[in-house]
Amino acid sequence: MIQTVRVQTIIGKDLPGETILHDILNILKNKQVASVKTARVYRLEGISEKEATVLAEKLFSEPINQTYTLNKSILKNASQIIEIAYKPGVMNPEIASITKAADNLGIKLKAADSSWEYGFYGNTNRQKAIEIAEKLKLFNPLIEHIVGKKPDTLLIKGVVGKTTIIPLQDMTDQEMLNLSHDKLFLNLEEMKIIQKYFQNIKRDPTDLELETLAQTWSEHSGHKTFKAKLIVDGTEKEPLIKRLQNEALKHNKHIVSAFVDNSGVMDFYDGYAICGKGETHNSPSAIEPYGGAMTGSGGVFRDIVGTGKGAKTIVSTDIFCLAPWDMDKGKLPKGSLPPAYILKRVVAAIKDYGNRMGIPTNNGSFHFHDDFRAKPTVLVGAYGIMPKKYAKKGQPKVGDVILSIGGRVGRDGIHGATFSSAEMTERTINVNAQAVQIGNAIEEKRMFDAILEARDKNCIRAIQDSGGGGLSSAIGEMGEHTGVSVHLENERLKYKGLSPWEIWLAESQERMILAIPKNKLQKFLEICKKYNVESSVLGKFNGSKKLQVYFGKETVCSLDMEFLHHGLPQRVLYAKRELKTKNLKLPPIRRAGKTQNAPKTERGWIEILKKVLSHGNICSKEPIVRRYDHTVQGTNAMQPYSGELLDGPNDASIVRPILEKPYGVIVSHGLNPILNNIDPYWGSIWAAAEAISNYVAVGGNYKDASLINNYIWPFPDSESLWSIDKSVDAVCDFMKTLQIPVISGKDSLSSTYKGSDGTVIKIPPVLCISAFGKIKDVTKTVSTDFKKNGSLIYLVGAMDFLAMAGSTYFDGDGRIPHVNLQQLPKTLDAIHHAIQKNALLSCHDISEGGTITSLFEMCVGGNMGAEIIINGQTKIDNFLFNETAGCFVVEVENEKIASALFKNVPYIILGRTKKEKIISTKQDKTTLFAANVDKLKQVWQKPMKEIFG
Amino acid sequence: MKIKPKVLVLKADGTNCDEELAFAFNVSGGNAEIVHVNQLRNKEKKFRDFNILALPGGFAYGDDIVSGKILAVELISFFSDELKKFVERKDTLVIGICNGFQVLILTGLLPFGNIGTINATLTNNESGLFQCRWVKIKQEKSACVFLKNAELITDVSVNHGEGKFLATPDMIQKIEDENLVVFRYVDANSKPTQNYPENPNGSINAIAGICDPTGRILGLMPHPEKFNHITNHPNWRRMSASEQITKPAGLTIFENMINYVQKA
Repeated sequence: MIQTVRVQTIIGKDLPGETILHDILNILKNKQVASVKTARVYRLEGISEKEATVLAEKLFSEPINQTYTLNKSILKNASQIIEIAYKPGVMNPEIASITKAADNLGIKLKAADSSWEYGFYGNTNRQKAIEIAEKLKLFNPLIEHIVGKKPDTLLIKGVVGKTTIIPLQDMTDQEMLNLSHDKLFLNLEEMKIIQKYFQNIKRDPTDLELETLAQTWSEHSGHKTFKAKLIVDGTEKEPLIKRLQNEALKHNKHIVSAFVDNSGVMDFYDGYAICGKGETHNSPSAIEPYGGAMTGSGGVFRDIVGTGKGAKTIVSTDIFCLAPWDMDKGKLPKGSLPPAYILKRVVAAIKDYGNRMGIPTNNGSFHFHDDFRAKPTVLVGAYGIMPKKYAKKGQPKVGDVILSIGGRVGRDGIHGATFSSAEMTERTINVNAQAVQIGNAIEEKRMFDAILEARDKNCIRAIQDSGGGGLSSAIGEMGEHTGVSVHLENERLKYKGLSPWEIWLAESQERMILAIPKNKLQKFLEICKKYNVESSVLGKFNGSKKLQVYFGKETVCSLDMEFLHHGLPQRVLYAKRELKTKNLKLPPIRRAGKTQNAPKTERGWIEILKKVLSHGNICSKEPIVRRYDHTVQGTNAMQPYSGELLDGPNDASIVRPILEKPYGVIVSHGLNPILNNIDPYWGSIWAAAEAISNYVAVGGNYKDASLINNYIWPFPDSESLWSIDKSVDAVCDFMKTLQIPVISGKDSLSSTYKGSDGTVIKIPPVLCISAFGKIKDVTKTVSTDFKKNGSLIYLVGAMDFLAMAGSTYFDGDGRIPHVNLQQLPKTLDAIHHAIQKNALLSCHDISEGGTITSLFEMCVGGNMGAEIIINGQTKIDNFLFNETAGCFVVEVENEKIASALFKNVPYIILGRTKKEKIISTKQDKTTLFAANVDKLKQVWQKPMKEIFG
Repeated sequence: MKIKPKVLVLKADGTNCDEELAFAFNVSGGNAEIVHVNQLRNKEKKFRDFNILALPGGFAYGDDIVSGKILAVELISFFSDELKKFVERKDTLVIGICNGFQVLILTGLLPFGNIGTINATLTNNESGLFQCRWVKIKQEKSACVFLKNAELITDVSVNHGEGKFLATPDMIQKIEDENLVVFRYVDANSKPTQNYPENPNGSINAIAGICDPTGRILGLMPHPEKFNHITNHPNWRRMSASEQITKPAGLTIFENMINYVQKA
């Protein structure tokens, strides 16, 4: 018998109910529904009515503002009630808490579940109510359902799945391709190599063995493109990864470890090291943005705790490239989710996961372009700190125990690694639904607490995230040099009925795999117990050089580590420049005309300025940032927004990770997919220059920075390979120029949509460069808000004024801004030194929207205006809107100070700050326009306020 | 040298403001120790060995069911007697911040010090949104025994989704009559306000923090421990040179708590 407790909030707002009613009226334009009320439902199995009453009163309801019922409905007089629950078998994170609290109250539950009821009042029937729930996406059909028949039991039963032998030895090519399709994602050549291996050892593979090979050899895990031999326009070039690594390792002054661990590590102060990583979660986010972005965050945080012998995460960043939220519905390809929905859900996910983890989310950006409808880019970054003595990647030793800790294994997230390497099609949502992973931040948080204590007690030999590819990837990698024996029957499961290969491959979240020296195991398990962290001993590193996996007495895998890790042949790939002209298809809010004529009237100027400021890439993201906790840990030394009214955006994040010390970690980033679309070399230089300029604009010394590169590209056909090759060359040249290294990176080369009707959509290629590094004293840093009335405003750096292609102002093709690489280091040095001398009152780098946008944002922060006089420039609109990276707008007390600071770098005096909140602009003696800062601010703040409140 | 008072910073699964809270007590002259609730349950640690009990912010047990509920149930179930004895001592203080405040309310320790009797709640922000922003709070003339400096205005960070203080009109009246309101959200003119975002959650009477009638149990939604260094302030760069070298205002509460128990 199941006892059902329903709880309704009766005093105060019913927030979910009000939101749904608002959407019914405004989105569905349905006036039949008068009100919507919600209730929580708790189903409890194995207890008496009396016990259920105790729980209802002491646990589930608040006497002040809620009421409850037992085994009867609560939403009285509703014309329809829709109940939405997790599907049986999908993890409901609340259950563990309910079971624990009931236990604390002396009540033992056999099983429990929680769900929501939505009561619709007014004129509606069941069918209409279901339609509302579906149209407003009140539930995600991949993991949730509308409850029809009430369940008789909550206990999930299942029979253990079997291991299947796949008759691979005798398969034809076509049969092998059929086997690979939608599941293994390997090509025929790779399938043949696997066939040959098994023919040689004279047996057929198990499903688990094939899945292991597919996962290890997937683009996601194997990075086949980056390791491939590349023939570019007929000439052989070194593999992309080699080029990056060779150049990076020349600049190793601060490197502790690069390219070998889960994140890149550099030296910090006082015996500490800091690390950073960027990771994408595009494919899961395309079909389930909330779960996708959430587990993206969870995964990149695990990369940090999985670095060295464990690091503490201190900063998280989020960078999204999406189709515009107001894109014409007709443009949306079949099987893709509406961009506005993706936007809201990814933001909710970052909020829910990051806030719960207690990791400040304090840096990020948004980029909009129609072609991101092919697949969104969801890039999450994380940064950490650890004592340097624990900063090197650990190597398991023969005899060490393999321990799996954290969440239990379920069916969620099977095939994530192989699936994420595939292009998106209209079938993706249906076929690959189980690749969606569900996040539970608290599970991860307590696991991290345990790991960091175990690290400090020297219990950890090596650590690896169990994310993409599950145990297969984690244990396969850790055991490469020793060999392992694994007993899958020892793994903890969410429910029975999983086949061995599912246990092995599942990407159920919040798990880490550790190598623990035998004599430390007891201590380690005690620490786990303290933090309520579950664990299972799965096997040991055994010296066999084989991957031996057992399920009870059955051998389900016996593969040579050598074949698994080195059997994949190096690919040979051909890159070719496409000569056809690009169709840019920029978002509609860009400037309509393609002429380069400047506006002729004040009104014209203000109109175009408003268009630029309200563009998705430029408009204020404050309503989003306020949902992310950015002050947790108490370390923040630069908030995302500061200034008189706390609404001026800053360029980078600065934290003081050791509370007792003044040392800072600076984190910034840069990307411009639209420029990459036109010119991948200079577009990539732009991204890197933008990242490092943001870093320097707040006071950092670029020589103390390291870089992270993330490539999110369309599927690597010859054209996309050509552009990625150019991009990698650009990153290498950038490293050479500034003599700083890239120390971590990741590629995700599958952002192409292919429809059955022949539609092919490629995203604009994304190279995101993140910069992170150290500064000795966080008080020697500067924000963007103007500080004083009457101070001088300078433009510092070498602008490429004539190059306007790809800019927000000029919707068109042509030459994109080239960053002057000879000049850049000098400019960066000048800015850094000026800030260290406390000579800059404020500083803001120039990026999208150009000089006038930077200036406007500085006025917003200062809650003041500026008087700009530009002398001797013919193309005045180019001057104001040019987007050359590596340039800065700065505020200085007087001319004497400025001329000493900037004697070796190009600069122009722009004008003065003034109290009155007007930006007035003159060309020589002619007034072009005088724009009211508050009015511009309204336009700049409006788009995200409308979406996020 | 005075003995440093011992501070128990209570941690459970999902607590995430424990380290900065411990730091805030330590730089204010305390000796803080982060203790997991399991260490209390297995008797490895005992409330009676401490002078100050501090409940930090975070998402204890994922904020499942209602924020702070699961930890409150755990405390009531296993530590009612110990907590009673702890608060009855004259040399002890209790503080709960954000999620810790929610826990104190749901145990009944606030507003009236009745363990197991719930007289108020902290519910969803009026805006329906999690809020991370700096606001101004005013310290009231209240029953709080360690915060006597009325009219003091402090900038402070709020980071929460469920911070709207709610109770029946009678209870609110009682709380006001007994001077239990310690902090209120105020506007630029230092007046208590119901306006968003100065009042970030729509709390009745702009209540940001309250104490119990003994004045020794304090709960507040804002996070003074996030203002432990001058550079935490979003606008420290706009301050004058002399303001920049003053003590960060967030530490005042912790110093006062340490001073109080040292003298008690």
